[in-house]
Amino acid sequence: MKPQHLDIVRQVLDHEVIDSNNVPCGMVDDIELEGRPGEGLRVTALLVGAGAWTKRLPSAFEGLAARLFGTQLTRVPWSEVESVTERVKLRSEAAELGLGGADRKAEKIVGKLPGSG
Amino acid sequence: MKKFVEIFLGILTAMGGFVEVGELVFSVNAGAKFGFHLLWVVALGTIGIIAFCEMAGRVAAVKEQPVFNLIRERAGLNAGLVTLVAANLVNLLTCTAEIGGIALLWQLLSGWPYRWLALLALVFLLAVVWILSFQWIERVFGLLGLLLCVYLGAAYYLRPDWTQVAAGFVPNVPRLESSSEYTLFAYFVVAILSSVLLPYEVYFYASGAIEDGWNPSDVNLNRIISIIGSVLGSLLAVALMVCGAQVFRPLGVEPQLPGEAALAASMTFGKAGLLAAIGGMFFAFAGAAIETALSGAYNLAQFFGWPWGKFRPARKAARFSLTWMITFALSALVIMTGVDPVSVVEYSIVFSVVILPFTYFPVLVIARDKELMGEEHANGRFANAVGWFYLAVITLAALAAVPLLIATRGGKG
Repeated sequence: MKPQHLDIVRQVLDHEVIDSNNVPCGMVDDIELEGRPGEGLRVTALLVGAGAWTKRLPSAFEGLAARLFGTQLTRVPWSEVESVTERVKLRSEAAELGLGGADRKAEKIVGKLPGSG
Repeated sequence: MKKFVEIFLGILTAMGGFVEVGELVFSVNAGAKFGFHLLWVVALGTIGIIAFCEMAGRVAAVKEQPVFNLIRERAGLNAGLVTLVAANLVNLLTCTAEIGGIALLWQLLSGWPYRWLALLALVFLLAVVWILSFQWIERVFGLLGLLLCVYLGAAYYLRPDWTQVAAGFVPNVPRLESSSEYTLFAYFVVAILSSVLLPYEVYFYASGAIEDGWNPSDVNLNRIISIIGSVLGSLLAVALMVCGAQVFRPLGVEPQLPGEAALAASMTFGKAGLLAAIGGMFFAFAGAAIETALSGAYNLAQFFGWPWGKFRPARKAARFSLTWMITFALSALVIMTGVDPVSVVEYSIVFSVVILPFTYFPVLVIARDKELMGEEHANGRFANAVGWFYLAVITLAALAAVPLLIATRGGKG
């Protein structure tokens, strides 16, 4: 269920993204819009990943942040969004959408330790 | 009954988790230098920490969302990032100070080299956080930290002049001999305020509320725990200051190390008092080290949308788990370079206060936002007034902190 009026800056941008199993898989780091002057503007995708948010930093820090956090970027089509509440919920699992990759990498390291669940 | 137990445990853990190495060292030292004249600063700080813990806990309970998620949503990416970097630098610094404190205590007991004990402390902390659940971490370290209550007894048996103690709670500046003494007094005002208001406590408390599964019905539970827990916790700080005034001031000694503070307990209760004091300090420092490391991991994970929490298996919150491990490791490494642990404690307290406004401002802005919190749960006029007042106080303290650190040559006067 999507609300009728959606303020994409207040209600979508910088909100947490959760997948169909309610697992956090990033933030809405940027939003992709489509349209021409004089025509309607449409949200086409959510952009998730350091490649999106580092571009929003003051230019002096952009390069440094990109070097530290990488430029990984995942485009999640707007049609994948199931609902927008406090969190933005997606219809599929994180891995199917290419989200949460860094966590799966880290899981390989942490998973080697005894008692990691 | 279950609710009662929860409240009781919450209060005790808040109380036991209140004291950390900086607060201990500064409280005892403040008593030794200025008698009871700084007690009002503890009281001032306590009301502030209550106000901000209550707000952060209420936000977490009402939104069932941690504070750093909301900071990013509301303050935006850039301002949020400033808060994140500031908060996590102080977490790292505080964690380093606590590990240094643990190593010093163990050195006192064993006589082993300090650096290797820091390594041992690292292994201990990693193992404890890895093995224990969040609830057990809270209970073990919160409750055993209550061994510090030995100082309540010590303060009583040291027979301070209670009218003078009471007078210390009224804001005052004592008559001092020179202007440098006044500067030193101002430095202690800032340091004590900072030690009571350390920012990790607020964020840890709010994330803990989510770990414990709080929801809007827990708003009153939050209020009771944050108020009573903090008041009882700061009673310990008061007792430490009274002990400093009664034991060290007449001798003209300035206790710098945590071990020296333990002497105050041993003078009244002998060997048992000494052991209780050292045990209490150990659990308080280790508890604070754990809280700061976890707090750093919570903040990062919430800001970037990683799966987080001790309630998840470590494997399922992998980056979160790696973050607290790395925080412990970096902190222990700093101590192992051989830096003076007392200086680390000083710096952790002074730099905390510098960034305090950045970490508390967003909490206030979110808690007062009626659109976000709803009419019922947003700050009322009273909470807003208290919030803005403390923001002004900590901003002043933040501006004064570094000049005072330099002017007093790190509190040496």
